Amino acid sequence: MTRDLTVDDHDVDVPLDAIVTTLSARAEPRQRTQRTWYDTFDWRLHRAGLLLEHQVRADHGWLALSELSGRRIVRVPTGETGETGETGTISVETLPEGAIRERVTALTGIRALLPRTSVEGPVTMLAALDREEKTVARVAVEGPLVVDGGGPLPVRLRVEALRGYDKEARRVVRKLAAVPGLRSAEEPLFGAACHARGLRPGEYRSKPEARFEPATSAGDALAVLLGELLEIMRENVDGTLRQLDTEFLHDLRVAVRRSRSAMKAAKGVFDEEERTAYAAELKWMGDVTTPGRDLDVYLLGFDQMVARATDPEALEPFRKLLTRNCRKAHTALNRALRSKRFARLADGWSSELARQDLPGPEAGTPIARFADARLSNSWRRVRKRGTAITETSPAEALHDLRKRCKDLRYLLEFFGSLYDETAHREVVRELKRLQDNLGAFQDAESQRYMVLQYAEELAATSAPARTLLAMGRLEAHLERRQEAARAEFADRWSRFDRGRNRRLFNSMVAAR
Amino acid sequence: MKVLASYSIKGGVGKTTAAANLARLAAGEGRRVLLWDLDPQGGATYLFRVRPKVKGGGEALVRRRRELVDVVKASDFDNLDLLPSDFSYRHLDLVFDGQNKPTRRLGRLLKDLSEEYDVVVLDCAPSVSLVSENIVRAADLLLVPLLPSPLSVRTLNQLEGFIANVKGKSPGVLAFLSMVDRRRKLHRDLVEELPRRHPGLARSVIPVASAVEQMGVRRAPLVEWAPGSDAARAFGELWQEAVNRW
Repeated sequence: MTRDLTVDDHDVDVPLDAIVTTLSARAEPRQRTQRTWYDTFDWRLHRAGLLLEHQVRADHGWLALSELSGRRIVRVPTGETGETGETGTISVETLPEGAIRERVTALTGIRALLPRTSVEGPVTMLAALDREEKTVARVAVEGPLVVDGGGPLPVRLRVEALRGYDKEARRVVRKLAAVPGLRSAEEPLFGAACHARGLRPGEYRSKPEARFEPATSAGDALAVLLGELLEIMRENVDGTLRQLDTEFLHDLRVAVRRSRSAMKAAKGVFDEEERTAYAAELKWMGDVTTPGRDLDVYLLGFDQMVARATDPEALEPFRKLLTRNCRKAHTALNRALRSKRFARLADGWSSELARQDLPGPEAGTPIARFADARLSNSWRRVRKRGTAITETSPAEALHDLRKRCKDLRYLLEFFGSLYDETAHREVVRELKRLQDNLGAFQDAESQRYMVLQYAEELAATSAPARTLLAMGRLEAHLERRQEAARAEFADRWSRFDRGRNRRLFNSMVAAR
Repeated sequence: MKVLASYSIKGGVGKTTAAANLARLAAGEGRRVLLWDLDPQGGATYLFRVRPKVKGGGEALVRRRRELVDVVKASDFDNLDLLPSDFSYRHLDLVFDGQNKPTRRLGRLLKDLSEEYDVVVLDCAPSVSLVSENIVRAADLLLVPLLPSPLSVRTLNQLEGFIANVKGKSPGVLAFLSMVDRRRKLHRDLVEELPRRHPGLARSVIPVASAVEQMGVRRAPLVEWAPGSDAARAFGELWQEAVNRW
């Protein structure tokens, strides 16, 4: 249990001596403190009910993991700078071994821990003692505090209960609440520090969340949808530029892909000239983000990919080349993201599309009718391409089907709020099964291509024959994986294309 | 979760001192540590200034009328909690005896704590009893303080015989010399000779020191208030040996 109390007025001084006497507390000298809370961009710790904090006080540093209620789970001494790497983030490699690393990395996965909010100011630590001079509660008198990138926070008193001494902590809170000028704080310091810089802990989206009323016009609905997608793109630009973790670029790319699908669906809704111009710019965004993302994926999966190789060490020159090229690809990507062209895309879109002074013929169509038609079209396109695939079809045919499936999936996501939830969920699940197979096929295809391309590049240098042979074996392994996916396709397709699913889709659209 | 038991058949050999200091050292490394004072005399509980009282006594814990986590008390140190002693622990033998699989009760109770703690340190009462059997079965490592006297070898042999006779997987044993006065020739000779006769003996030797005696006055582990002392350094080395041994 922790309870925070705060002063009524920014200018009021806390009667520290009186408090020390009232609580029979021992006071430490006043010191400066800096507290920084870390979480992933998508708040994985907060969503799991945890707070990770780096504290510095009087030249000592600690990393502390606690529950949202403030109950501390563990605190580990660290350096003054914490455990951050070059980018100011914490990663698995920089976390100290032990309970914090175990708990935290199980939640964060590949996402980096970023400093989310930070406060700085004076602190006096008090220990409320019992008759045996045992500490039964701690009180931190903190502030006034300055929030990094936010306003000041008035002095607050944080009462920290120690396990087994809740009753004593409640007594301390009661005594403090009776001190004139002190009142219960509305939220703990972490929440107050987040709000002071306009952050809402836990708030994150990787896909649009807009829900539509059936009668809303297609013009309005698509403007909202594209606006939301643009926001998601923008939210991920900084993390992509700074390469905080690989998920920023992933989310940015997916937002671009979704935007492309939405823009394609928007034919007839916006001014056609403007729509095609943006569609072209989005394609450009898709293209410039591809090499960086591909290389991120290869490197993320490298260990797993080479784990089955008979001579994994021989593949080190390959990894080095991938790493070097990944750096180059991100440099090129950063140039694009800092370009005027990207700025125009990011700024112009929201203002121009929202304006809608040149609406297309379908701008006024109710979104429900519009969604029915677009989904039905997309469903037909998937069926047409899927049915045409035979054992001898080239890889491009499967790749093309995969892209059509993505279009359908995104449309299902965009307009999900208009349909029966159960039917919609079932359609998505069936589609996902097919997409998983197509994804496995395409991943193996692109990895094989990448291995071949890099083998040629390495062969042109003086790479050892051992490396090239290992890459050859790797390519053969990927080919087997691709063949396995290909062999499975017919089954997956016939499952997806069965009468039950067609009826399910038709009833979903008809039942709305 | 690793269970470490500071255990000896003999009393007054530095068990509680070792338990308290090693628990503090483990917690200082960021491990979540619980020190369970199983000795009804409550030496460790006193050292950490906690009231030696468990509601319902040991029986309530063993019969699970009360959860262990509900009687845990935080110490004044980060990551270190204490499960206090209670005078009723003197009857723990009888309580265990009335249970199914009486030699596995303690281990079962400790399992409940595995999510909460990384290390449990048991400070045991000196005896050879059903409680001792429980400790041997529950522990991953027994820390056995030995006084520098010829009799100690006999005590250690007795203990090893006792462990061999207890059913189940045997814990590791890390015996170490405690209360060694290097001014005394007998002690110096034994420090030389004992490791030869007992190769598994810890290299760390805990000296007799005024700091150790002052722990009872200061009521805190000496590694906290005299970290540079010989005794604190020796406990640091002993802790490292324990970590390497479990």
